[in-house]
Amino acid sequence: MMLEMTQKEEKFIIPIGPQHPALKEPGHFEFAVDGELVTDATVRLGYVHRGIEKGAEARNWNQNLYLVERICGICSHIHAFTYARGVERLAEVEVPPRAQAIRVLVAELERIHSHMLWFGVAAHEAGFDTLFMFSWRDRETIMDILEGLTGNRVNYSANVLGGVKFDVTDEHRKTILEAVDFMEKRTKHYLNVVTTDAMFLQRTRGIGVANLQQAHRLGILGPTARASGVKRDVRVDAPYSAYKQFPIKMVVETAGDLEARFVVRLKELFESYRLIREILNNMPEGDLQVKRFPRRIKPGEVISRVEAPRGEVFYYIRSNGGEMPERLKVRTPTMMNMASVLAMAVGHQLADMPMLLVGIDPCFSCNDRGVAICNSKGDHDQWTWERLRQHGIDFYAEKV
Amino acid sequence: MKIATMFSDVVGSFWKKPATVQYPFERVEAPTRLRGKLEWDPEKCTGCSLCSKDCPADAIEIITIDKKAKRFVMQYHMDRCTYCAQCIESCRFSCIEMSDEQWELAATSKVPFEVSYGREEDLAEALAKFALADTVETE
Repeated sequence: MMLEMTQKEEKFIIPIGPQHPALKEPGHFEFAVDGELVTDATVRLGYVHRGIEKGAEARNWNQNLYLVERICGICSHIHAFTYARGVERLAEVEVPPRAQAIRVLVAELERIHSHMLWFGVAAHEAGFDTLFMFSWRDRETIMDILEGLTGNRVNYSANVLGGVKFDVTDEHRKTILEAVDFMEKRTKHYLNVVTTDAMFLQRTRGIGVANLQQAHRLGILGPTARASGVKRDVRVDAPYSAYKQFPIKMVVETAGDLEARFVVRLKELFESYRLIREILNNMPEGDLQVKRFPRRIKPGEVISRVEAPRGEVFYYIRSNGGEMPERLKVRTPTMMNMASVLAMAVGHQLADMPMLLVGIDPCFSCNDRGVAICNSKGDHDQWTWERLRQHGIDFYAEKV
Repeated sequence: MKIATMFSDVVGSFWKKPATVQYPFERVEAPTRLRGKLEWDPEKCTGCSLCSKDCPADAIEIITIDKKAKRFVMQYHMDRCTYCAQCIESCRFSCIEMSDEQWELAATSKVPFEVSYGREEDLAEALAKFALADTVETE
């Protein structure tokens, strides 16, 4: 996607990106500055648009499970989870309770590793590399558990349509509980660091404040919104899957600054630890998969939404009765949160920009779902598939 | 407000073993569920090709030698495989497994990534067929 880029004259514009604006993903920002103060900000996204939604229309329901898993490298399970949940509702298949509990267990483990990853990156952006190194060392504990449980460190492929692939054995239960105890101890320590360390607080306290009204107006999602006092969490508002049996408490802070975003995410980890223990101690018995899942899914449309580590993930799935979806639409939380960075940037020091950007826990490759083309006059213009194809052919013909 | 809140972590680390492992000199054993190289058992296969249809990466080809006698050959394109294990789920006769030992699969050429599975005589016949097809095409 592309927000309109206006270059006003007699302003000094500092470009940041597209290579690694703050984290190792591409996005281009332009900050108009007056001395060190940012007076205007624009963003250009779309560098990692991969055409996944279009690609999904040419793959069958099973294959898409693994395609959507690759939308995000960090919250891979949550995308497959949302997709599987939508397709199962479309096919009117009820997933066994044990499978639902395992899905939520993996989702919460993923939330821990995602929040720890963000925590490390944010600490690194603040120049606190010691915290970065230690938090990532601890994150490895969770990565190892996920590898042992699912068979892969990142793309877990835990889901199949109608259930999950693997069971949680007593051995796994023991290792997970041990790791959770260790992580809880470490998280307490980190919470203490981010709320008391004088150097670190200079980078976070009172920086990038988005108050409740702003958060509502900009439609911010996830932990970023909860740090501004917005009570919004899909796990609580519309409990899905095993969250019905294992409810979660929403963590809300009101300050709305970067410090509050750290605190919300770290406190959410404690909720995740509690939930993991609860699930492991009260794991429902039963099958892992439904007996048979149809290859063709009857015509219909469905929306599916879950709470990813970064906020609400939204899927729209339409079937025309065939082996492939007719349309798959994905909306990821970073898309919604990106506007808040631009709004918050104004009036801050240029040096705070990487921290502000990291504060929303952005995931650029999740973001790039569509492309709007602006011509040199800045007019928006919709292209048909044929026109785009012809443009491609002409473009390369000219080059040769 | 305090200063140097991570100081004890840093100093404490002087007396601790490094958190990293000196791979490849030191190896951590892979978990038993690790999804490594795919392995195929031709004895149980009925040639339904569901594994190939459901493979998101187009990594599996089932070549039919003789459908009645249940003679099949699997061509496994390891370089395309995403190790998602959907084929294991799709297979109703448990012909497919994923190794937890063979995961160091890097190679300097494409050749080791083309893996053929099947009974020896079937493989030989498949090869002969392909060789014939090639000569026909070139003629």
